[in-house]
Amino acid sequence: MRLLRHDLHSLSGAYALDAIEAGAERDRFTRHLSRCPSCASEVRGFGEVTTALAFAAADPSTEAPAGLRDRVLAAVPHTRQLPPEVGVRTHARARRTRSLPWVPWLSGAIATAAIAVAVFFGVAQSHTQAELNQARAENAAISVLLAQPRAKLLTHAVTHGGVATVVLAADRRELAVVTTGLPALPSGQVYQLWLIGKKITSAGLLPPARNGQTPAVLATGVAKGDALGLTVEPAGGSAQPTTTPILALPLPV
Amino acid sequence: MNPNDSDASRFTSGTADRRGERDLDNLLVHVARGDQEAFEAVYDRLVGPVYGVIRRVLRDPSQSEEVTQEVLLEVWRSAPRFDPAMGGAATWVMTIAHRRAIDRVRSATAAADREHKVADVHTPHDEVAEAVEASLDRERVRRCLDGLTEVQRESITLAYYGGHSYRQVAELLTVTLGAIKTRIRDGLIRMRDCLGVS
Repeated sequence: MRLLRHDLHSLSGAYALDAIEAGAERDRFTRHLSRCPSCASEVRGFGEVTTALAFAAADPSTEAPAGLRDRVLAAVPHTRQLPPEVGVRTHARARRTRSLPWVPWLSGAIATAAIAVAVFFGVAQSHTQAELNQARAENAAISVLLAQPRAKLLTHAVTHGGVATVVLAADRRELAVVTTGLPALPSGQVYQLWLIGKKITSAGLLPPARNGQTPAVLATGVAKGDALGLTVEPAGGSAQPTTTPILALPLPV
Repeated sequence: MNPNDSDASRFTSGTADRRGERDLDNLLVHVARGDQEAFEAVYDRLVGPVYGVIRRVLRDPSQSEEVTQEVLLEVWRSAPRFDPAMGGAATWVMTIAHRRAIDRVRSATAAADREHKVADVHTPHDEVAEAVEASLDRERVRRCLDGLTEVQRESITLAYYGGHSYRQVAELLTVTLGAIKTRIRDGLIRMRDCLGVS
């Protein structure tokens, strides 16, 4: 269906109310917004109206549940923040995303099954209420990730033994990792995950394994061109890798 | 619209919150640098309306709680991408909240519930009126909604609070697609002017 320019303009209200269904029409309007300053300014103004509508919906009789605050605040220290956007990346390499021979492209349903077990371990291993809350918060985030229709399952062998399994939601820039069969480490050493791209950033420590499997770890802010790395580090982790990665799994984002 | 006039707080409670909104922008800038205390303050300020709007759209308390949690963690995660030039912090957060609620409504798993919700939201205006009590802001929003034509008011509330797409709203109100787009836009322009003037 072809839309006239005039019709595009008149979608600004529906757009501000999130009332255009995802698809070609919304994409077209979003593109239009980037070229039409007056439309963008109109949508911004409507944003104030919808904010007022949102505030008007806050009702003392339906206050946010009491436990929510603790759960959110418990998850915050374990949630990696996105890097700020620094202009538009024009030099990003063109990537062939479906050409990695050892990557099985499986459905989200299979990925769900693979990670669900690990998620359960995370909860089962929680001893204190704070740990349990945190595990639940992480599970909520992982559930969202697993529900992504285009989530992809990647697996790769780890040097010296074991396998890493990754569920990647490229459009959300998030992934969840579990491992099985990694060699046990002497005390004083931990496995640490990394996002390795233009910069190397920690994606968290692997929790202790149970029955050879580590609970799922969620990493956010995956950037184009990143690979998932795994190294052995001193207890507590390092700011940058200090040993040679035993896994470097390219992430098709 | 005056582009400098983008202070959403004037809807929250008058002049004191004008300063409040700037605080909120400022807090979010600190959140972007990983300041967890600043995040706590943002949480306390915005959890009410975040949960309120999600609950309004989704109805179901446990789903609403889940989505509220996602949204607040998203605020933490995405704070480095918040751009004050694009609008105030409250607007940024409420946009995330509403979008997530709508995503949930439109996701395949909610398909069945949605059938019921169509029936549920037939008196959106009364509902808005009901929710509007003590607060002056709500009073103002209600007054401004009252100033719209019936179709404008219904199409805005069905879309925003009911979580319907404009195509579904057109269906519900038996109005053409072209007309519904125009009603929504005209209604929002009137709301904007009404809220801005007072």
